[in-house]
Amino acid sequence: MTRALVTGLGAITPIGNTAEEFWNNLVNGVSGVTRITRFDPSDLPVQIAAEVKDFEPGRYMDTKAARRMSRFAQLAVAAAKLAADDAGLKLTDEERPRAASSIATGSGGAIDTMEEMQVLMERGPARVSPFYIPTMAPNMGACQVSMTLGLRGPALASVAACASGLYSYIEAKMLIETGQADVVLAGGSEAALHPLPIAALANMKALSRRNDEPERACRPFDADRDGFVFGEGAVVLVIESEVRAKARNAKVYAELAGGALSADAYHITAPREDGTGAAQAMTQAMHNCGLTPADIDYIAAHGTGTPLNDASETLAVKTAFGKDAERLALSSPKSMVGHLLGAAGAVGALAAVKAIHEDVAPPTINLETPDPQCDLDYVPLKARKMPIRAAMANGFGFGGQNGCVVFRKYEG
Amino acid sequence: MADLFERVRDVVVRQLKVDPAEVTPTANFTEDLRADSLDIVDLTIAIEEEFSSEADFEIRDEDAENIHTVQDILDFLKAQGIS
Repeated sequence: MTRALVTGLGAITPIGNTAEEFWNNLVNGVSGVTRITRFDPSDLPVQIAAEVKDFEPGRYMDTKAARRMSRFAQLAVAAAKLAADDAGLKLTDEERPRAASSIATGSGGAIDTMEEMQVLMERGPARVSPFYIPTMAPNMGACQVSMTLGLRGPALASVAACASGLYSYIEAKMLIETGQADVVLAGGSEAALHPLPIAALANMKALSRRNDEPERACRPFDADRDGFVFGEGAVVLVIESEVRAKARNAKVYAELAGGALSADAYHITAPREDGTGAAQAMTQAMHNCGLTPADIDYIAAHGTGTPLNDASETLAVKTAFGKDAERLALSSPKSMVGHLLGAAGAVGALAAVKAIHEDVAPPTINLETPDPQCDLDYVPLKARKMPIRAAMANGFGFGGQNGCVVFRKYEG
Repeated sequence: MADLFERVRDVVVRQLKVDPAEVTPTANFTEDLRADSLDIVDLTIAIEEEFSSEADFEIRDEDAENIHTVQDILDFLKAQGIS
């Protein structure tokens, strides 16, 4: 059975429009959260978000093709191209049927539904765009990546709320292990910045209201945390079979060791308070890779900054790791990147891969006042140089979907 | 105000993402300007929007079937009394 390796990194995020810029800002504790600029947020209770900055679709794709894509698909295509370029991926026509895409999303082109609905109501049915359906459909991230890069193997699009991004790596691993693909462009994308979801999540009391201090709003594991910060962006990794990667002498960042999924079977938004659903995914993920708690040095935590998540995730890590929970480092990329929802798991995966590759644990910023319920080593405020043999990325979604993926150092 | 051709050209450039120099009266949408069927529907909606304040008209499906070139749009608009 061939192993699955990470050979290319691509990212369009609120803290950087390349994987390198993302990582540098992540390690330096730079926040991507600002007052919302995409629309006037004045009448919303939450006026901050983590926006992608300076994104020009034309730099990555044909502008006419871009006009037929929802923003989430544009971000996915851009991240996929960056990843393919980073990997030096060149596909022959014979290889294309064995090249796949797996681009997860939370809400796909929901933003187009909101906008076209307005056209329908205000200007009538004759003015509705003929591109609306093939733009908003949530499979279009995967399909547009396939079209742009000429990937003719499976095109998968998992929808699992805030765990979505991690599903793409479970799928990529399965496609490679079962011999259905040699290369998979895998990741997540989300771009749903609009007053409607902001209003809904604010009314749900899920979002931080620290409007006056955007950079300090997302404070995972801190006693004064008051919710997550809505974000947008995309991360795509090139997952390649060891056989193909070796044959072309590819640069390897890490091995995608494996992962696991579980469902809380509990509540539409709240996690199980004791974290047993999440713990089950973590334990099963380690088991599936043939690893034990003693082998994991770092966790890119889900760490949303909501009161419920951070406490239950802490309990889940303690349940899954036992005494090793006190030894390992975990941190929340969301403290800087914001919560990229369907792309959040892919952000965590990228953080885990880079952490292994650089032997650095990125920090949890804004963790200033410890919460007695959150008493693990969250790498507060400053990044830490440390040996990282294997790292885990966590993602837990509304509906109780849990995803957990493990990467490890590739020794060749 | 810009003349009719210039206004139509600007809409075509915006909708089809083509170079203004390519948009001549004889330019064929599918062959010269690389438009597909969805682009043409989208273009007719944009033309309706652009000229909606000057005449009460609609580009029906049977009208759209006869639109192949930029000149066809100019002729259609002139027939609606727009110049």
